[in-house]
Amino acid sequence: MRFTTLDGLRRWLDKLAEEVDLVAPTDVDGHVLYRPVTGSDQILFDYERPELSAKDFLLPATEVLLRIEQKGKEVALEEVLPDRKQVLFGIRPCDAHGIAVIDALFLEQDPPDRYYRHHRERTVLVGMACTRMWDGCFCTSMGGGPTDATHLDVLIRPGEEGYFLQPVTPKGVAILEGLPVEEPKGEPLPVEEYNEPVPVVPPEKWRPLFNDRIWMRHGERCLSCRICTYVCPTCRCFDVTDRVVDVQPGLTRIERIRVWDACTSPNYRRVAGGHNPRPTKPDRLRNRFYCKFCYYPEDFGPLGCVGCGRCIVACPVDIDITEVMQVVAKRA
Amino acid sequence: MPINEPLTQQIREHARQLLESERVDCVIGYEASPRGGARPAFVYDPAEVDRLIWSPDCVHNLTTYLHDKKKPRKRGEEPPRVAVVVKPCDSRTLNVLLAERQIERERVVAIGVACEGVVGKDGQPAAKCGRCTDRTPVVYDVLVGEPPEAPPVEDDWSDLARIEEMPPAERLAFWLREFDRCIRCYACRQVCPGCYCTICMFERDDGLWVDAAIDVPQKHIFHLGRALHLAGRCVECDECERVCPMDLPLSLLNRLLVREVEALYGHRAGREETLTPLLFELGPEGSPI
Repeated sequence: MRFTTLDGLRRWLDKLAEEVDLVAPTDVDGHVLYRPVTGSDQILFDYERPELSAKDFLLPATEVLLRIEQKGKEVALEEVLPDRKQVLFGIRPCDAHGIAVIDALFLEQDPPDRYYRHHRERTVLVGMACTRMWDGCFCTSMGGGPTDATHLDVLIRPGEEGYFLQPVTPKGVAILEGLPVEEPKGEPLPVEEYNEPVPVVPPEKWRPLFNDRIWMRHGERCLSCRICTYVCPTCRCFDVTDRVVDVQPGLTRIERIRVWDACTSPNYRRVAGGHNPRPTKPDRLRNRFYCKFCYYPEDFGPLGCVGCGRCIVACPVDIDITEVMQVVAKRA
Repeated sequence: MPINEPLTQQIREHARQLLESERVDCVIGYEASPRGGARPAFVYDPAEVDRLIWSPDCVHNLTTYLHDKKKPRKRGEEPPRVAVVVKPCDSRTLNVLLAERQIERERVVAIGVACEGVVGKDGQPAAKCGRCTDRTPVVYDVLVGEPPEAPPVEDDWSDLARIEEMPPAERLAFWLREFDRCIRCYACRQVCPGCYCTICMFERDDGLWVDAAIDVPQKHIFHLGRALHLAGRCVECDECERVCPMDLPLSLLNRLLVREVEALYGHRAGREETLTPLLFELGPEGSPI
């Protein structure tokens, strides 16, 4: 455990910002969001759970995979991968847990996703413990917790007079080398407020509820927007498409991009010829919950939910994943 | 906010009668949300009408769900008949959808509420209520509540002042900053009762008009395009702005166009059962105005 003051933390971050791609919680017009920063003056140190997870920096909302240039009969392909080290500072333990869930598919399956792996390898996760659970949080029910260091490289715990930094991995030890360390003062702040736990039903007990009326009850008011999947730290579906970026006589430039996609969206499952095996809102909402609690754990290991609560707070029609989990627990 | 007991009882009673008499298959109303406030509810069984409530949290425009009821649930059946609870602002949507032949009048029962205003995200009276000129639904089959005695206010468009004071470059910078925050979740489009295209032109697989990237240029085109598609059709329910997780002030875009269309054609969407003149009426010289 290392101790430093806010000033020490700022000096370390200012130096990091010169050397690496630094991402941190910032205030964007009143919204707490992770954004690339160029100095510690842009960083929030006392902040709520950011409204979007940190997955954008490992699985970007939009990522150019290939640049394709056609000159006459010549076609040149160029893969685009950033090679600078990246530090995600101030992510919450649930964000790191979410990254571990995505790892189970994109790193641990064969073959791994080379773009995701590339970002994962260049990235150091420096987390900030929460001192309370926020509206909707249920991380303690999903195997995490406000001070959980498990999936981080460094865990920072705020104290009264400074910050306690705990390196968790060799990557974490290395990134802390430049930190100005002082004699510890006081103790890390305790977690002030815990939320009620939520029952978690094992995957096999979900299967018999596939045709339960609960999906109609909650799915019918769903708007089929993408909010829940885009704020989610574990939703990782994407689409790949080509776009023309420049056309001149004898020269065409095309980019192959991958962009976030969402199973809640009506056209997500539409296939050639127009058939859609999930034509209604309840079909799609059910799929989102089954993916998290049934299909993903059966296929890849971990549950597809870390209990960050973002989807609960962001849903404009109050679809509450914990309410659904409670109903499922009663019926299972 | 506390539940309005008299209006709640009236809504339940109408719902019960409509379901028991099989006049409708489903009542779309509001129920208490476990998270506080209200949320949309679909009631099929007369035994369940006591789920329904009325309170100042009933902000949602439920007419958007009528699009899910246009097709029969099973092949060969008739499409369902539906009752829907509407505020005055929501009721204007019915006129738009009727004029656009999206709903059949005899399949929809409008339970109109003489509305005294609803609250926004911050718990304060919703901005749309401050400029509400109707107070009583323009279309309804049954009315609950007493129409308020206070005369309707005049819409002074004061919400648009802050954007109109900006010189063009500043205005563009303002919007680009807003669009930068957008996550292209399409919640604004999905909640909008006027957005019902089977395949949105901004979400085509071939990316004909705009590609799939979640970047500022694509979001810029999407939001301006969507606003234009709603010109003369937007009833100013402000649902797009309410559902936006990033708080984009989308009502500004819509209301600028509402004012333009009203100034040019004297048309305010949904006041009557008429199509937007923007697409169909020509100016005195035979050209579009």
